[in-house]
Amino acid sequence: MKYRPPRPAGLRAFLFASILTALCATLLSCAQKPPLIGVFVYNESDPFMKTFAEQIVFKSAGTHTTRLFYADNSQLIQNGQIEKMLAEKPALMLINPVDRLGAYAIIHRMQAEKVPVIFFNREPLSEDLALWDKTYYVGAQAAQSGQLQASLVMDLFGGDPERLNGFDRNHDGVIQTIILKGEQGHQDAETRTSEVLHSFENKKFKIEVLALEVANWSSEEAYTKMGRLLGSYQERIELVVSNNDDMALGAISRMRQSGMFQDTNGNGHIDRQDAKWIPVVGIDGLREAEVSIREGFLYGTVKNDSSAMAVSMIELGDVLLGLADKSSLSVPLQNDKYIWIDYRPYVSAE
Amino acid sequence: MKKIFKGSISIGQNIFIMTVGIVSVILLVTSLVFLAVFSGIIDDSVETQAREINKQIVMNFEGYINSVIETANYIQFASINLDAERDSAALDRLYKMNTDIKKDVVAIFLFDGDGRRLAGPALDFSIGGSVGGRQWFKSALVLKEIFNFSAKQEKSIAENRDEQVVSVSKAIEFVRNGSVSQGVILIELNNDTLTTLARKTNLGEHGHLLILNDKGDMLYSSEASPATMTAASAPIASHIFLGSRRVSIDHTDMFINVNTLMHTRWLIATVSNINEIKDAMTRLAGILIIVFMISIAVSALVAGAISLRISQPINQLKTAMLKIENGDFSVPVTVSGQREIVTLAHSFNSMVTNVQELMSRLVSQQREKRKMELQVLQNQINPHFLYNTLDSIVWLAEHNRNKDVVTTVVALAHFFRISISKGEIFITVEQEISHVQNYLTMQTIRYVDKFTYSMNVDSAMQQMKVMKLILQPLVENAIYHGIGDEKGHIEIQGSMEADFLVFKVTNTGYGITEKQIQEMYATMKGGHERPSVGIRNVYQRLKLYYGERAEITIVSVPDESTTVALYIPKVTQEEI
Repeated sequence: MKYRPPRPAGLRAFLFASILTALCATLLSCAQKPPLIGVFVYNESDPFMKTFAEQIVFKSAGTHTTRLFYADNSQLIQNGQIEKMLAEKPALMLINPVDRLGAYAIIHRMQAEKVPVIFFNREPLSEDLALWDKTYYVGAQAAQSGQLQASLVMDLFGGDPERLNGFDRNHDGVIQTIILKGEQGHQDAETRTSEVLHSFENKKFKIEVLALEVANWSSEEAYTKMGRLLGSYQERIELVVSNNDDMALGAISRMRQSGMFQDTNGNGHIDRQDAKWIPVVGIDGLREAEVSIREGFLYGTVKNDSSAMAVSMIELGDVLLGLADKSSLSVPLQNDKYIWIDYRPYVSAE
Repeated sequence: MKKIFKGSISIGQNIFIMTVGIVSVILLVTSLVFLAVFSGIIDDSVETQAREINKQIVMNFEGYINSVIETANYIQFASINLDAERDSAALDRLYKMNTDIKKDVVAIFLFDGDGRRLAGPALDFSIGGSVGGRQWFKSALVLKEIFNFSAKQEKSIAENRDEQVVSVSKAIEFVRNGSVSQGVILIELNNDTLTTLARKTNLGEHGHLLILNDKGDMLYSSEASPATMTAASAPIASHIFLGSRRVSIDHTDMFINVNTLMHTRWLIATVSNINEIKDAMTRLAGILIIVFMISIAVSALVAGAISLRISQPINQLKTAMLKIENGDFSVPVTVSGQREIVTLAHSFNSMVTNVQELMSRLVSQQREKRKMELQVLQNQINPHFLYNTLDSIVWLAEHNRNKDVVTTVVALAHFFRISISKGEIFITVEQEISHVQNYLTMQTIRYVDKFTYSMNVDSAMQQMKVMKLILQPLVENAIYHGIGDEKGHIEIQGSMEADFLVFKVTNTGYGITEKQIQEMYATMKGGHERPSVGIRNVYQRLKLYYGERAEITIVSVPDESTTVALYIPKVTQEEI
């Protein structure tokens, strides 16, 4: 046997201590590692959803690690992204599905992987949400947006169906209306449209729908279609109801081009008293819409409160991760499945 | 010898085993790593390909389904302002037109909430007045906002149409007599279009496509009957729901990829044949094994050659050393090969030469030493004898026996001539006998009438060489011990017995006891000098020159005689 110099006891102790320290550090860093969360959004070119996604990332920064995916409006792409994310063993998934009908497949998959999932802003079928108890939905009720939109309009027209104020420009007691619909067959578009009409009906406001145009949520399409509508109905239009802000803003820019929204009373500001001003209402509460409202063009919008939704989702996520208690949720769970965030009407102070 | 080397291996074996071992290990590790990396890459690429095919298929289906949905949306949108009662003809035209422009659409119907037809072609008589009981109708009213794609294919409900169709239904609002009502739109799709889409895809041998519903039930399989693979793949696909899995069905590697189909509650599962991975891996492994074998063989050959080159000269050296170990110094070692070994061989050779020189020098030194000792011993005899002889000459002269003085002096002269014999150590037996004769002549003059003597020497021995001055001391001894009051007799015999020259000197007298004989032996072998210096001297010289075989024996018969015998090995002149 070769001679081996004995290792000093001090050195051995030092080695042992340093290994122990390293081990502890590793364990601690594991324990402290923020939970990994996948965030899936159906389309990056939807400004509302883009803002929404950024809110989620912003509000979870520091406490959670988020991975954000945009699916380019293809469930196929989103499925691939979910697969990819699952390989990284996330703690939680926040999914804004492209296709609400396919959500059941995602839920089955998440159940198999034991990854809780919160859907948002596009509601899966209730039978699908019921498949697994770790499945939740955070969103707003589309019906409420239509109702709030109608009430904004009714406020503007004086609130009394029998005595409409000056915004009933032809004084016939009926509001001549153009409706810009998001997308034929789209759940939100259908609901928002039917709810706004039903609300008028319930309050006995008489509405004449001059035209219902489908502009696919798009500002450009609304701009084009509005041109055609102005050709037919320009003098008669008393109200434009849009399923979202983007289309409302597209319509306004076309209307401005045809001479509307001019400062006819010469007070240096576009306001409702100007002769060529008619109310346009949107939904979503985009930043551009808020600007337009402040400038006096857009009458109002119904804010889909993505900030509040993002907060609720993160709170709910922490409950699912065992980091917080259910009672700490700022908006409580309904039926142990849903968190409904209220829409908020938004008009200028005027 | 064997024991020392047991368990240890030669240099050659060592080099061979080490080289081949290292090469094998390196090759093995390299091959395995290569195989693992390569199989990973192939796996990935094949799986990616399978996924892409699945995506393509899903996209084809989605494109088709979107076109159907667009048709439905368009009809819905175009009929917003058409009253089902008042504008019935226009509504019918709209439905018919949309049916006609799409060749895969068999029929489009509008039904009211009770399932009665409002627009579209006439119904087959078997349907009756209402479609309210149909599954697609009920499903449409349960989930109003979505399109229902019928699970099972059935016969078209239109009159005179026998095609198998897929029914797509959705709840819509329509206007009748100025008020909005709930109805259902039904689009019947030709079954062929969907199956054609499925068939166009290349999923490899036994690859197939499955359509499953949200409950995991299989709605369709593209596999031709008998659908043996489907029986295995459908249950697996229905458990995947989303994503992919690699499975082995019927000993065939299959990659199942499941995706949702947009706007429907369907899943599309593609089952691709990826056996090619296995085939490629088998081929690759085969090639690697061949390369491995060849490399091992080549390295074994090279290692063998190297080990031979190194070990052969060492073995030659070893053989030479073994020879020398056995005492053969004759052949010098000739080794060719590595410089170190050649140098070693040279050194070895010069060492052997040195050893040889040293040995021969040692031998000659020994011989010189022996000669010197011998001379010393021989020289010891003379003074003793000379003293006695001179003493007797003096005695003769005192008694005026001049004749005897002359005889004695002549004998003495002869005696010394032989004693000196030009410095030779060996003389012939004849000379030795003559020497003894001279001695006896002198002694008979000195001891007048005290003893007689006789000599009897084999004449064949006469010319043989023998160490000089070996008999005289014995005779002297015999006279000294044998002469007493009575007249004694001394007999000298010389004979050849086998390999020995034997000289016996016998004297009469009392004889000596066995104890005395033992004392004499002890004296001869180097004990104290006392009783007989002569015999001891002879004995030691014999041993010195002839070795162990030479011997002196003493035999005594009490009151009769004592015989001392010399046994001298016959040796050739050269050996002396």
